[in-house]
Amino acid sequence: MALYQYSWTILFAPLLSFVVIIFGTRMWDLASRHRTAVSPAGAAHGHEDGHDHDGHGDGHAAHGLDDDDDPKVARLSMGARVSAYLGIIIMLASCIYSWVLLLDSTGVLHISGSPLSYSGTDVFSYNWGSAGFLAPYVISFHVDHLAIAMLVVVTTISLLVQFYSQGYMENSAGFARFFSYLSLFTFSMLLIVFAANFLVIFVGWEMVGLSSYLLIGFWINKREKPVEDRPQPAMAAMQAFIVNRIGDVGFVIGIMILFWKTNTFDFATLGGSSSQGVHAAFAGNTTLLTIAMILVFCGAIGKSAQVPLQIWLPNAMEGPTPVSALIHAATMVAAGVYMVARTFPLFLASGATAFEVVAWIGTITALYAALVALTQTDFKRVLAYSTVSQLGYMFVGLGIAGAGDPSLGAGPGMFHLFTHAFFKALLFLCAGSVIHNLHHATHEEVQDMRKMGGLAKFMPITAIAYFVASLAICGFPFFAGFYSKDTIIGLAHTTGFNIIYWLTLATAGLTAFYMFRAYIVAFGGKDGKLFGFWGGTYRGVGTPKEAPLTITIPLCLLMVACVAAGYWFGLFSYLTPGAVDLSFQDIITDGLTWIGVAVAFGGIFVAWLFYGPALGWDKVNRVVENNAVLRFLNRLTLHKFYLDDLYYWLTQYVFLGIAHIAAAFDATVIDGIVNGVASGVTGLGKGLRRVEDGKVQSYMYGFFGGVAALAVVIFVLFAFAQGGVKLW
Amino acid sequence: MATLLFWVIAIILVASALIVVGARKIVHSAIALVAVFAMASGIFLLLNAEFIAIVQILIYAGAVTILILFALMLTRTSNQNETTNPNSKGWGVALIVSALVGAGVIFAITFGRSLVQLGGLATAYGTAKACPMPTNNVVYIGMLLYSPSCYSYVLPFEIASLVLLVAIVGAIVIARED
Amino acid sequence: MHPTLTHFLVLGAVLFCIGLYGALAKRNAIAILMGIEIMLNAVNITMVAFSFYNPVKPYSTFLTGQIFAIFIITVAAAEAAVALAMIIAIYRKRNTVDVGEINLMKW
Repeated sequence: MALYQYSWTILFAPLLSFVVIIFGTRMWDLASRHRTAVSPAGAAHGHEDGHDHDGHGDGHAAHGLDDDDDPKVARLSMGARVSAYLGIIIMLASCIYSWVLLLDSTGVLHISGSPLSYSGTDVFSYNWGSAGFLAPYVISFHVDHLAIAMLVVVTTISLLVQFYSQGYMENSAGFARFFSYLSLFTFSMLLIVFAANFLVIFVGWEMVGLSSYLLIGFWINKREKPVEDRPQPAMAAMQAFIVNRIGDVGFVIGIMILFWKTNTFDFATLGGSSSQGVHAAFAGNTTLLTIAMILVFCGAIGKSAQVPLQIWLPNAMEGPTPVSALIHAATMVAAGVYMVARTFPLFLASGATAFEVVAWIGTITALYAALVALTQTDFKRVLAYSTVSQLGYMFVGLGIAGAGDPSLGAGPGMFHLFTHAFFKALLFLCAGSVIHNLHHATHEEVQDMRKMGGLAKFMPITAIAYFVASLAICGFPFFAGFYSKDTIIGLAHTTGFNIIYWLTLATAGLTAFYMFRAYIVAFGGKDGKLFGFWGGTYRGVGTPKEAPLTITIPLCLLMVACVAAGYWFGLFSYLTPGAVDLSFQDIITDGLTWIGVAVAFGGIFVAWLFYGPALGWDKVNRVVENNAVLRFLNRLTLHKFYLDDLYYWLTQYVFLGIAHIAAAFDATVIDGIVNGVASGVTGLGKGLRRVEDGKVQSYMYGFFGGVAALAVVIFVLFAFAQGGVKLW
Repeated sequence: MATLLFWVIAIILVASALIVVGARKIVHSAIALVAVFAMASGIFLLLNAEFIAIVQILIYAGAVTILILFALMLTRTSNQNETTNPNSKGWGVALIVSALVGAGVIFAITFGRSLVQLGGLATAYGTAKACPMPTNNVVYIGMLLYSPSCYSYVLPFEIASLVLLVAIVGAIVIARED
Repeated sequence: MHPTLTHFLVLGAVLFCIGLYGALAKRNAIAILMGIEIMLNAVNITMVAFSFYNPVKPYSTFLTGQIFAIFIITVAAAEAAVALAMIIAIYRKRNTVDVGEINLMKW
């Protein structure tokens, strides 16, 4: 048991790394840069972490101020490199520990005496107050099978991304800052994983939002590129944070409703059978529980970029590619899925409606994102929409398992999360490798697929890795996605959600199409070898080369994971006791599986047909431009069904309009009242001042005026008393 | 006879008072003030207060008037043709206030009940001895002011002399050129 | 008809009013003083009238009103002296006797 009791070190290790980097090695880095800098750097080499302008005047050396407006240094200082090593070593330790925990809890290794029970164990608990109303406010961390599964994903991907960033972010002046943010992000994500109650998960939730903001907006000064329809990273970061917060409103209200009825935040208590559990507290009032759980799901909608809050994820591609790989593919966006899996018993207690909402939103998102990804020309945006789509799949998995076959538990959704993390991270890291190499070749940031083509002959390892990952995501037989995605599609059929079945099946076909479209347009071409899959005409400038080892080693490791991750058939029963595991024979012999495979093959074939040796990129473009209907559809999907524009309009006119009205109300009414009171008092003062002004005549006025008034009063009284004034 | 005299004197008195407050030049007001004092003296005579009447002429029409005229002389501003006795801005309010005060007092006079009707007159003698019957007004006033043996107002008299001393010294000090 | 107490009292009241108006509505300091003098004279008339129309007839042995009047005359004279001295002193400094213009505490 001691093995599990010390697992809180996994949580606090990245925090330690963050603190040491920010206050130690980064300061070292900045100080050493001072000594080597030639030009007078400003005094603002601040000691704050955050957005100060790193390295103003130094090393516009090898690259100049490039397309990404990122200040560069010619050589990384020792402090920066130590920051990277520190982050990587700590993450390596955490990763190894997580794998040990996984192997031990599944029974492969036997290190601890007693294996972990299904309910897990509390590893840390701090009460803010033991009495009365403070009792539910506890900081507690809990490790169980679900947490261990997620831990493995988070730490592994984080390690690989940090290793990769050494090569990707070389020459960047903010190198140490980048690693500190990566550590902060990992810590926040682990907070979510380890959380045992809603309070801690919410803290982690917001902190990953913060880390995402910091990392997306890493290139502080980068300008927007309206030609390619790309915003400033700073704006994208703000959009990400704000849209996340919009989802969090629902999340908090859901938590509050739950707390109101049960007076506890703890997951185990809420899902249990005690009087504080939701079964007892919401007995007879399942509608309220359904509403609460749907509101809690709103947080997941925001965090995992589901429709209608999906707009931030494509714009989050403005951050550096390792960030996209870590956060927006594998981990942070999966936090929503993890949270729903965590609160699975609560969803179960509320009946099938909440699960159906989850499933339907997942389906709509998957289809929408797949349609939009069909026509995107930015390499990373295709992957972003693919992420949104696959997240939709995960929610479909969770939803239909909960609504249709609750004995499976969170298994199908989590399985797809597990495999998706690996192949999506691989896809993004390959994209990053491409961008990195093209950057070196052209001294420009090239992300447009129209400027690529035939890259496979220049960077073979990247091409192979991307190919493997694309096969995995399409559900090619015996790769990871085959097992996870087709399980979900098959489950939709067996539980009777036929519409969802057809829609997800169609989306699988679309997925295959756009992934291979991206592959062929970037790496292959009309006149390439291997039927257009390898090499071809290069439409850009310069001569790209393969990436250095720090970039290619993670690619190779992830390629292995892409295949191997799908073979953990025991995941379902690992997560939920009593669940029926996947079995290889059942999958092979099930007809539905092969229908899914056929659809995927169909998609790959159509993509090869359009962009391969048969037609080619230019011809397809010409046909689409010349045909009115096709052009209309192209524009529709290219502009994301104009949802982005709708949101922009809403923000500009509706929200800002309301804000302006509120501001005007504040300025006129509220300030008017306050200032009115003040001026009233001032006026009263001015008036009262005249009572005592030193002029005797005015005193006499007052004196005799009083007598006169009294005389009038006497007259009136006398008149009333006598019944008439007697004149003499 | 007494009535006619009263009305004549009263009318001249009130008219002079109106001139005092209404004249545009302050010297005219000062002259009318002399008339007011003189007529007041006449009223006193009607009321059988000869001593007071003479004192009024001596002090008011004599000393106070001269004082006022000297002060007017010493505080002349250079504008000869303008009004030297202007009204202030709130003179309408002053009119109303004074009219109401006057109406109130007159009302109290005509409709009020005197102490005698209400019953009882307080006597101020107490245990002191009353003054012997005077022969005329001046003797009586002398007895009332100075007498050490009968009821008298000696103490207020002494204090009044002190007041006059202070006034003399004060006036000299204040009006001194330094 | 004989003048009764009421006649003298009303005369006093009217004079008091006129003096009050003069004291309130005039800007020249000496005019204000003149109004005050009229008021004092009105009071004197009232006092002496009360002493004359004492209910114990024919001739009262009681001249309190007249004594009061003497003292009023005394004090009024003293006050007139001091007030005029002040007005002269102020005139030397400010060159005006308009009370509307003497409104600064600072000498």
